Amino acid sequence: MEETRIGVFVCRCGTNIGGFLDVPALVDYVKGLPFVVFSQENMYTCSETGLTEIKSAIVEKRLNRVVVASCTPRTHEPLFRSVCKEAGLNPYLFEFVNIRDQCSWVHMQEPEAATEKAKDLIRMGVARAKLLEPQEEIEVGVIPSALVIGGGIAGMTCALSLGDRGFEVILVEREKELGGHLKNLHKLFPIQEDASKLIERKRMDIAKNRNIEVLTSAKVEGINGFFGNFDGTVKQKGKDIPFKAGVIIVATGAEEFKPIGMYGYDGVKVVTQLELERILSEDRLSVKNIVMIQCVGARNEERNYCSKVCCMTALKNAMRILEENPESQIFILYRDMQTYGTFNEDFYRKAREKGVIFVKYSLQKPPVVNKRLVRVFDEFLGEELHLPYDLIVLSTPMIAHPDSDELAKMLKVPIDEYGFFLEAHVKLKPLDFATDGVYLCGSAHWPSTVSESIAQAYGAASRASIPLSRRHVITEPIIAAVDEEKCIGCGLCEIICPFKSIRIEESPNGRIANTIVASCKGCGVCGAACPQKAITMNHFTDEQMLAEVVALTTER
Amino acid sequence: MIVESRKVVMVIGGGIAGIQAAIDLGDMGIKVHLIEKTPSIGGRMAQLDKTFPTNDCSICILAPKMAECFRHPNVTLHTYSEVKEVLGVKGDFSVKVLKKARYVKEAECVGCGDCSAKCPVRVPNEFDFGMRRRGVIYLPYLQAVPMVMTIDRDNCLYLTKGVCKICEKVCTREAIDFEQKDTEIDLNVGAIVVATGFDPFDPTGLSEYGYKRYKNVITALEYERLVCASGPSGGHLIRPSDRKPAEKIAFIQCVGSRDVKNNPYCSTVCCMHSTKEAVLAKEHDSNVQSYVFYMDMRAVGKGFQGYVTRSEEEYGIKYVRGRVAKITEDLERNPIIWCEESDSPTAVKTKVDLAVLATSLIPRRGMEELSKILEIELDAYGFIKTASLEPFDSSREGIFVCGCCREPVDIPESVAQASGAAARAAEIVAGGFS
Amino acid sequence: MSQQDGFDPKILGFLCNWCSYAGADLAGVSRFQYPTNLRVIRVMCSGRVDPTLVLEAFIRGIDGVMVLGCHPGECHYILGNYYAEGRMKTLQRFLEIIGVKPERLLLDWVSASEGERFANLVSDFTKKIVKIGTLSTDISKDEFQKRLLAAKEAFSQHRTRWLINRERELLVEGNVFGERVDQDDFNKIKFESVVKDYEKNRILFAIRDKALSVTEIAQTSTLTPQEVLRHLIIMEQNGLVTVSEIDGVKPMYKKMRG
Repeated sequence: MEETRIGVFVCRCGTNIGGFLDVPALVDYVKGLPFVVFSQENMYTCSETGLTEIKSAIVEKRLNRVVVASCTPRTHEPLFRSVCKEAGLNPYLFEFVNIRDQCSWVHMQEPEAATEKAKDLIRMGVARAKLLEPQEEIEVGVIPSALVIGGGIAGMTCALSLGDRGFEVILVEREKELGGHLKNLHKLFPIQEDASKLIERKRMDIAKNRNIEVLTSAKVEGINGFFGNFDGTVKQKGKDIPFKAGVIIVATGAEEFKPIGMYGYDGVKVVTQLELERILSEDRLSVKNIVMIQCVGARNEERNYCSKVCCMTALKNAMRILEENPESQIFILYRDMQTYGTFNEDFYRKAREKGVIFVKYSLQKPPVVNKRLVRVFDEFLGEELHLPYDLIVLSTPMIAHPDSDELAKMLKVPIDEYGFFLEAHVKLKPLDFATDGVYLCGSAHWPSTVSESIAQAYGAASRASIPLSRRHVITEPIIAAVDEEKCIGCGLCEIICPFKSIRIEESPNGRIANTIVASCKGCGVCGAACPQKAITMNHFTDEQMLAEVVALTTER
Repeated sequence: MIVESRKVVMVIGGGIAGIQAAIDLGDMGIKVHLIEKTPSIGGRMAQLDKTFPTNDCSICILAPKMAECFRHPNVTLHTYSEVKEVLGVKGDFSVKVLKKARYVKEAECVGCGDCSAKCPVRVPNEFDFGMRRRGVIYLPYLQAVPMVMTIDRDNCLYLTKGVCKICEKVCTREAIDFEQKDTEIDLNVGAIVVATGFDPFDPTGLSEYGYKRYKNVITALEYERLVCASGPSGGHLIRPSDRKPAEKIAFIQCVGSRDVKNNPYCSTVCCMHSTKEAVLAKEHDSNVQSYVFYMDMRAVGKGFQGYVTRSEEEYGIKYVRGRVAKITEDLERNPIIWCEESDSPTAVKTKVDLAVLATSLIPRRGMEELSKILEIELDAYGFIKTASLEPFDSSREGIFVCGCCREPVDIPESVAQASGAAARAAEIVAGGFS
Repeated sequence: MSQQDGFDPKILGFLCNWCSYAGADLAGVSRFQYPTNLRVIRVMCSGRVDPTLVLEAFIRGIDGVMVLGCHPGECHYILGNYYAEGRMKTLQRFLEIIGVKPERLLLDWVSASEGERFANLVSDFTKKIVKIGTLSTDISKDEFQKRLLAAKEAFSQHRTRWLINRERELLVEGNVFGERVDQDDFNKIKFESVVKDYEKNRILFAIRDKALSVTEIAQTSTLTPQEVLRHLIIMEQNGLVTVSEIDGVKPMYKKMRG
């Protein structure tokens, strides 16, 4: 067994450390620590000079561990690790001791006590360094194809973006034809193009792209595997079609809430916005007095969210109707007009100018519909209005598909309280899941307009293409490792892992936990939980941490 | 037909959108040149205290991304630099970038701050909207990336008058170099992503609100700096006039937005950020009572409506629907909000300690000039024009747009758009079908 | 600041890489000063900290331990800090049970931007530890080893670790039948388990070298002879102890080797 030879470099960092701590005393102290064969001070260890000195010391003194005592690992650990690598030493045999940000800079009036503290910290670091093991970054191959679940505008756009980059895509759609909700829309805002033309264009682009395989009337039945290596079956018209993919994108969209039992909804005289779009595209609209009611079934106790797209949909349809028939009288009963952004706000203004009448109502005093009139209390006027109607259009929210949780379980991803898929981080990772290798876009994530769905689809394609372009995933070796002898397969780790990266699997020794190397983040939650202490957290082992405590509490 | 193109992309703008685009592209194996005008990346997000609806500390979630971008093997950061000329076509752009002289050697400077402490001149710090002062040799903020000082040439005694040079004497690393010159770099890239962000609208021209006349009328971004732990008041919510704690706060929405005389559009994020700011005030001090004066409460994104509901129920924020006609001041410099409430015939007066104006998000100063350099069209509002069904394509092929320079959007949208624009840029440079 | 009443406490802090360690760095960058007593062990997540390691620190003479993680909802690993909270809160309650002041273990949250808060937390904690004195003022020197070692063993037992780490799921998401467990009910079960394991280990510790009678064993702790006997019977069935001799009418129990 090779003897441990530790080299310690104590940095002055100009006067930042050197002006407060007794650096020569530290260098001297270090010499007496177990397994330390070399120590020196540097003016600036991170400068070219300092780095060169580390490299030469590694070679000349045959160091197999390096400790640098200076600023903070959060900024400089990667630099020193790569320097060790350049000198032929495994980068994980490097240890960093913070004697500046957490010592010299915060004890400026107590140089002696601070120097004693630095001695303790270095002693702890050296003890830990002795127990460090070389680690190899792990390469996991990524199957160079993507599975896109859902063939609406989001799914189609995502598939095309990936296909155009040369990646293989399997696009699965459960209806007979691609298009999703676009099939139910009449014209798009603000470009006034027929939704059907957009579908045609996308379908043709997909057909031309040899990288995209389309499976319609198909549903994903089961998914196994993990990041980079998913496999499963798609059921199409009774046939089972197996697939393999490196990444999966969820683009399953949402559906329109049907306001059964609300406001006299009957699908004929009282319809939803999508039903209105159908009427408009079939040119069947013949009435004059139209009342639209916003927030039907939304922003209430049961469904406390705003579905984002309905105000614009109502405006778009109202303006369309007025264009066809300028004699129409349209009332829009709203609680807040959600015309956010540049062009939307402009359109709202135009609609007012064109004669659409907006009536504000409150959640506490909703409109009442009877046979011929809509009665609504106008919050601005402070009086009740009686509006005769020929047609009532209810703007209802987008809701998650009722089987979204089934897909969520299959993919091992979470859904929120409303059934929409829950991303890894609401702010900075809106299109990723915490489970690696699975991505999200469109209304499956949250109600989105066509334009927003397209934008998110490109975004998800970008995220998914990262592992696909690299063809492998390199994982930091700071992960959990299970000792098969000690593991009894109790399953606690599987239950608590926030990333679903450790699983109980069948093995010759019985049911044993196994780390999914590609997605384990090394947090250590399982390591600290394991009732049999069968899990080792690489590079942050129990022994290493204990060694630091022992070194701290044992005087040299 | 496969289009051969340089597998290099330029990202203009180092805010959260630019950073995300650069990281995505870099992760795809594409080389990125990230050009940032100011001395540090980070953009507006670095100036915020917390982000809605999760109330995450903004700089805490941004800093790791900044570090990742800085250290990324495929990303070259050009800070304190500007794009001066773009020639060529998609797949093959020739760009001239002006790298301004910092008068500090980037390789030597470690950002220790000894120079700044000794600099004899103090000027208002842009990062804190002038609420704090900085030296002429400075770091824009403590978590700046790169952590390198910059000398503000307009105020430097040596560069303007030939005297001083104290910083040079104080620096132990010999990192100061007054001989440095602005340099021009030529870069050849296959695609460009524009992510230059927004500026806050200056409400000084809206005399009815009294901004700059009344000390206790501030903008939302100034509020964010005040309430931020590393800001000019250490996170204590105090009134600028007398530094006493603010216990009654009014948030005025749509200042300059939805206003035909100024910016007719809606800035999308203000309803949410004011709600957040009101919530933060209550978390700082449970005695605080906040009022939000609004027209429409636009809480359309994921989790937003629930956040607003909670702010009312759990934090006691009072939402008043109505247009604020004017703000006046009493003898103790308390702002008085005159609001034409929707259900009352006369204006209601509310006296508060502090008034926060949610100002419009407008295109960055210099957008017009940049659009001419890039030869891309702007829309009627001065934002970069894109097509509805190709939301990241500018009017020039090969140049893509994301984030607030396109239209005011919140952080998740900016991040998603940044990835999207990266995908579009990658389609050009990473091969495949044309 | 550090030398008050001649007592200079040893404080150990476990700081998580993404939040509290970064906050501590920011305190440095901003030059917020605090007492020199703190020694830091860096972990990737506060959820990495095993209660047995905290007990080890106390056993070896640390006077106060700080476990600082990200604010709830901000954990870089999403749920790590919730597990840290569950474990440390359980350990705090247990320390109180065995006579150690629970204030010696601090669990708190510091974000990467809270440099001043970090400095204040360290100052306040150090002052508090100075005030309550060294660990041997809580328990006498000879009781010390017995109690803390037994506690460490208790927190190493399968059932206790299982319960502590299942707590979050059972309370928040429910069991396989979808039933949510009540916090108070769960606490009862959890602490019963820990205390049982603790008492077992107190007994084992007492008879590891020498065989003792039931009464003698009871004298080494706060257990009654009946409680001791109940434990011994079960441990004998499980092969952990054996009757090595009979002194008159008194069976003498000894810990089994291995």
